[in-house]
Amino acid sequence: MAQIDLSALSVTEANNRIRQFGAEGEDVDVLNPDARHHIGVGLTHPITVRVHGSAGYFCAGLTDGPRFEIENNVGWGLADNMLGGLVVVNGNASAIAGVAIRGADVVVRGNVGSRAGQVMKEGTLCCAGSANFMAGYMMYGGRIIILGNSGERVGEDMTGGTIYVGGDVQTLGADAKVTDLPTDELDEIRAFLERYKIPFSGSLQKIVNAGQRLRYGSVEPRVRSIPFQSFSSGSDYWNQKVQEDVHIKAQIGRYRIRGYGAARPLPHIADIAFKRDLSRAGGDPEVVSKVKLATEIGGKHGATPLKLSMPITIAPMSYGALSKSTKVALAIASKLSGISENTGEGGMSDEQRDAADQLIYQCLSGRLGWSIHDMQRANGLEIYISQGAKPGLGGQLMAKKVTKEIARIRGIPEGIDLRSPSRHPDVLGADDLVIKVEEFREATGYKIPVSVKLGAGRVRDDIKIALKDGFDFVELDGLQGSTGAAGNEVLEFVGIPTLSAIQEALDALAEIDCAGQLEIILMGGVKDGIDAAKALALGANAVGIGTSAIIAGGCIACMQCHVGSCVVGIATQDPEHEKRYNTAVEAHNIHRFLEAMRWQLASIAAAHGYDDFRQFSRDDLAALTPEAAAITGLPYMPELRERSLSPALKVA
Amino acid sequence: MCGIAGILFKDFEATRRNLTAGQALINMLDGCQHRGPDSTGFALYRDSEEGLLRLRFFVGEGEGQAKALDKVRALLAEQGAEIVEEHVEGNTLRVQVRYEGDVQKFSYALEHAAKVFSVGSSLDIIKDIGGAHDVDERYDVQSFAGSHGIGHVRLATESDVNPEAAHPFWATGFADVAIVHNGQITNYWKMRRRLEKRGYEFNTDNDSELIAVYLADKLKQGVSLNDALKTSIDDLDGTFSFLVSTRDEIGFAKDRLAAKPMVKFEDENIIAIASEEVSLNKLFPGQALSTSEPPPGTYATWHR
Repeated sequence: MAQIDLSALSVTEANNRIRQFGAEGEDVDVLNPDARHHIGVGLTHPITVRVHGSAGYFCAGLTDGPRFEIENNVGWGLADNMLGGLVVVNGNASAIAGVAIRGADVVVRGNVGSRAGQVMKEGTLCCAGSANFMAGYMMYGGRIIILGNSGERVGEDMTGGTIYVGGDVQTLGADAKVTDLPTDELDEIRAFLERYKIPFSGSLQKIVNAGQRLRYGSVEPRVRSIPFQSFSSGSDYWNQKVQEDVHIKAQIGRYRIRGYGAARPLPHIADIAFKRDLSRAGGDPEVVSKVKLATEIGGKHGATPLKLSMPITIAPMSYGALSKSTKVALAIASKLSGISENTGEGGMSDEQRDAADQLIYQCLSGRLGWSIHDMQRANGLEIYISQGAKPGLGGQLMAKKVTKEIARIRGIPEGIDLRSPSRHPDVLGADDLVIKVEEFREATGYKIPVSVKLGAGRVRDDIKIALKDGFDFVELDGLQGSTGAAGNEVLEFVGIPTLSAIQEALDALAEIDCAGQLEIILMGGVKDGIDAAKALALGANAVGIGTSAIIAGGCIACMQCHVGSCVVGIATQDPEHEKRYNTAVEAHNIHRFLEAMRWQLASIAAAHGYDDFRQFSRDDLAALTPEAAAITGLPYMPELRERSLSPALKVA
Repeated sequence: MCGIAGILFKDFEATRRNLTAGQALINMLDGCQHRGPDSTGFALYRDSEEGLLRLRFFVGEGEGQAKALDKVRALLAEQGAEIVEEHVEGNTLRVQVRYEGDVQKFSYALEHAAKVFSVGSSLDIIKDIGGAHDVDERYDVQSFAGSHGIGHVRLATESDVNPEAAHPFWATGFADVAIVHNGQITNYWKMRRRLEKRGYEFNTDNDSELIAVYLADKLKQGVSLNDALKTSIDDLDGTFSFLVSTRDEIGFAKDRLAAKPMVKFEDENIIAIASEEVSLNKLFPGQALSTSEPPPGTYATWHR
């Protein structure tokens, strides 16, 4: 039995030792914990950790297998995302006890705070005392046993799982109902309680999902693909796209879900241009070897940075929205081109991990498919706050794509129209986020960069928070970014353009004298190497491409990603459709497109006389429209407009 | 974007520990400094003689300070306040003045011409950049032996790091009322306009100042602090856990969604409230405390 005294050690040092003892199979006593945060985070060995006192936030969080015994109280996020094992708390637990657990037993002998068991997937959360409001909020599976009273809105928007309440239920949550409790189920619960020596002789109310809000009543009808030009010109008021929208809503009677991004004309990267005449650029076949494009991102706090052969990354897109074959093709292409790939929502598959050299692991509000093991084998972690196509909302995945396999990986019921939560259970402000970031660092030994993905909304505020909260870099996503499914109105009207996003971010950092102190990967409608070069000149450190990568890999841009019957096998989970996707061929197509981007970047740099892309600056740029000039503050030079239409440097 | 803490010794003379209120708050704020490493502030109380007011002004440091000091002295003379005692501490000027007139008018006149941190018969607000121990070093917070106080650590996410943006906030115009707040008031402008229509002035655009003035206005109308906190939960929108202190009381209120944390410890001698239990444990190292979390939408007050 080893002893660790927290009055003499930092939590980080203590966690290192706990993990060491774990590897040696030795149990640990933690003395003088004094409610400090992150005790035991990241432990994946089946040892017993006894905490002699109170623990703070995220005690036993991001773990798999251990037993924790806490003598007194615990703070927010007890057993966060625990995959397996056991936690017994003798005192009270604060908010979101048992958040996102995926198989552990979490027993609290006192009371639990608000939102206990939020987004949990599997396992048991048992509270011998009373629970505060919204117990089981958005839970997907598993069971919550509350022997005392439960506060308002029990089971609010739960989609799966069961809640048992011994005392009074103040009110039921939306889409929750009370149902009969079979005797054998009661017996099973009594056996569970006996195991932990919790006396209980009363009866229980059983609460489950009422099934009213799991699916949209009617699905969007299939529509004929309309060429992009015919609705993005802006002049024809009742164009085909507007009519299509009216027709669809006339059938479904609600907001319309579709794929892709904003389809209306907005100021974008094409509205700024290099001042220099680049019509003769690109003639040198050796140009790629003459310009330094390699860069590192995310090392500012000492983590191992991403090593990119050029300042381009693959943007996050989920396995779920995209087929596994497509994710693997993107991973292969990223490796061939020496850049990073991103898991997107919904977990990391072994195939994707094996195919990619550098993989960023995205953490979303629903913690779908999230696990400590995948965190530890990632090259970067990303906390998703929102995305450019739908700032303020969580991911959406329509029922057809929520197959048995996808449901299993994500830990959710099969065949629901999945609407991921719009906010993280444990991030309700910048101060909470500090503690969350620290948890991720504790769990991964401070070796992996932690980034934040921000959908462009209130960039000026958000970017300052990202800086203050100690992120290693930011993925900033503008309105022109696409998605697999979102409400049409949201796609078109909620975010702010990518151009505004990067400018606001740069201005905000300058405003607090921190220009250049936070690396920004800009995404949201970056379509080729020319856009990338302009973004870099504006001040981004790298760019992310999503849509153009999948178009390079066979997407036909029909905008019906949400339907789940993608004819080219990309945005589908149907094996029959996925068969049409040739992973090896498409991986090389994507790779070649990336190499074309590399050539474009190098050629534009060389045409400026630069031998390093970092020499690009705002002085190289001008605005072609008054709007773009107003947004970016670049000089308005309409005389360049004609030239920018020349086909030089455009890729086919 | 921050952490808060408050303490009250219930029967001050009888139960005074080895710990001063200042030292207790330093320890508690040090415990939750991770929530806000940029600046730290304290609202502490020490009784004054009848007819005396305690004032603290922000005067900056370096070259501009002498000028700012002269300006404050001239301003006080102009307002008919006789300086009894003055000390320059860090970048502030702490003064005690003899002043018998209307405090609100006096405060507004001062606000218009100088940067005032606090006014009261016993309130003193000390706030500066850095951690709890840094601020203590500059202002000797630990020697404050009053019966109660509140404190705050700030993560500067909206503006630059500067002492004026630090908490606690004084209820501009109202003697002895101070607030520390974790969260965000979303109907800020609506509430502010309402209060401005009734003649109140605001010194900052900070939503915490709004809570302070809102409560002070209620107190002025003869409402008890307890009842003022009760109505604040209905009147204020957004996320909040805040602590308020007056000459004789401290109190808290928590929004209905409990979006911001708060933990309290109470025994026969003290009441201590903080954002996190780790702060409470700083008062009782190595002990397993019997703490509780105020439920959402609740409030309470304690009298010294």
